Amino acid sequence: MGLPHIANLCSHLQNASKARLGLTSAPHTKYNLSVLLSLQKAGFLSFVTRGGPLPPGPHDPPEPLTSANVARQRLWVGLKYSDNAPVLRKMQAVSTPKRPITMKLPDLERVARGWDTNGRVNVRGLNMGECLFVSTPKGVMEVREAVERKMGGLVLCRAGP
Amino acid sequence: MSVARPARCLLSKRFAAALKPAAPTCNAAFHSSARVEARKKQRFQSIRAEEMGLTSPEKVQKYTEDNFQPYTPEEIEVLKKHYSPEQMEALEAGEAAIDPKDLTIQGRLRRDPYQIPYLDDFSRLAPVVDKRPKKHIAPDFTKIRWLSENEFINDIQKFAKEVDAPQAKTWMEGKLNDPTLSEEQKEWVKGQLAKITAQADRAKSLDGKHGDAEGLDLLFERSMLNDDNAPSDTSLAPSLGKDIPGISGIYQNPIDPEDQGLDDEGIYQDLKRRTGLSVREMMDLTVKILVVRMVHNQTRLGKIRSVWVMAIAGNGNGRLGIGEAKSVENGAAVQKAKLLAIRNMKPVPRYEERTIFGSVTAKFGGTIVKLDARPPGFGLRVSARFFEMFRACGIHDIAAKMPRSRRPMNAVKACFEALTNQKDPNEIAIGRGKKLVDVRKVYFGGNVL
Repeated sequence: MGLPHIANLCSHLQNASKARLGLTSAPHTKYNLSVLLSLQKAGFLSFVTRGGPLPPGPHDPPEPLTSANVARQRLWVGLKYSDNAPVLRKMQAVSTPKRPITMKLPDLERVARGWDTNGRVNVRGLNMGECLFVSTPKGVMEVREAVERKMGGLVLCRAGP
Repeated sequence: MSVARPARCLLSKRFAAALKPAAPTCNAAFHSSARVEARKKQRFQSIRAEEMGLTSPEKVQKYTEDNFQPYTPEEIEVLKKHYSPEQMEALEAGEAAIDPKDLTIQGRLRRDPYQIPYLDDFSRLAPVVDKRPKKHIAPDFTKIRWLSENEFINDIQKFAKEVDAPQAKTWMEGKLNDPTLSEEQKEWVKGQLAKITAQADRAKSLDGKHGDAEGLDLLFERSMLNDDNAPSDTSLAPSLGKDIPGISGIYQNPIDPEDQGLDDEGIYQDLKRRTGLSVREMMDLTVKILVVRMVHNQTRLGKIRSVWVMAIAGNGNGRLGIGEAKSVENGAAVQKAKLLAIRNMKPVPRYEERTIFGSVTAKFGGTIVKLDARPPGFGLRVSARFFEMFRACGIHDIAAKMPRSRRPMNAVKACFEALTNQKDPNEIAIGRGKKLVDVRKVYFGGNVL
């Protein structure tokens, strides 16, 4: 279960963007990788790449993953800034290891429209420019894509400007 | 309690009272002032003046003769030396008019240690009691004016005759290099300078005691007016009146004909220059006082009370400003705050020119203000101060919450911060490299405001 890593990732990215870092890294886990890729797809990150303990060069291909080097692998991500302000300013885990939150399609539809959920779980509606990432059977995706594909799942985190 | 008990108590009380000696009445004084009866009662019987024989006609006659004697012929001779015949006549008439007996009965001669040492003696001035006379007469205010240039040079020359004045010479030497003077004037000054130098050399050869101190007199004590350096009744310079030649008409408040007489006092002139708005436009703005507080500055001399005012200004079309000002006078603070509010107007982003973009939160001090966008027709469901702010900047649908402190000043400031720090959707789209679509606009086919 990678949920604790998701919470750590959220805090770390928030801190890194507050510190105006251009490049930062996260532990190489499946969940981290899928969340970071979805963030990159949503436009919050400039790139996501795999590397060793030191940041890879801009043109270095990632070294092949073997059982010998897998423990030292990290995910290196580029943070974006626009008009002297970070693009990713807020990132918060929704599910926690103690309380994983799964949502079905009707709830996700409400949240995607900007309305608060009114049922079992308590998730605030999305504000302008905010994204919610859901782990579905088809992988981690943004809430709007999940609604489009009519899938619910485990709500991982929300990110916004 | 049984019925027998009170009876027994009663009996026992009475019995005890019979045995006990009578309680002593308290004679101790509880108050420092004397009792009423003691105050009323006089220790000595008063004796009337009649009983002592003081008001008898003989006694009155004697007192009058002792104290109010008419003038003797010798005294009248002395008085005649000091007063004119008319004054003497008036004096005698006054003497005849007042009966000495009346003075005895109605008048009062003081014999206490604090009596004034004279009855009516104006020959001497008592310090503190009497006003000091002015030593010199006042200058003629109708004729006073600044010295002209030639008069000034004459004045310096006169001064230089009195003392050796290096400053006067320096001034004249400076004038020789003045390009504004004509050649004739320069020749004249040169001649005067030569005269002064000769005089000064002569004075120096006589005695060398004159120094720079006299030169300072020229700077500090010489009059710059045409009063011939005469002593005045006041140490202040006499007022020059309203029309001073060469100065009157220069310092006037220029009234701009563009203002159409709206701003004759020049209140808005500075703002006009800063903001580029016309006076008419500034007067059409919505300007409101939202917060007024009495504030005190505690000094060692006491509290200094002032009024602190916060005003907002808005054009009803997406611009809003806050101005805060403090003054001892309420009116001054209000005006200052209003002008500052107009000066500080900032653009407020509005969605469809009626509400804000999404939800905004701002914190100022202990106050958190949460603003939420609302659909058309929702109205301004907000507190009174926020209502004024939203109306001033042209927002028509909004909801606001203040979950924590609601201090008026911080509330207004936090709301202003929330309004002006909204996220711009275009900026977000550029930052993320994504196309953000206004779904509402798509749904209504662009038929929204």
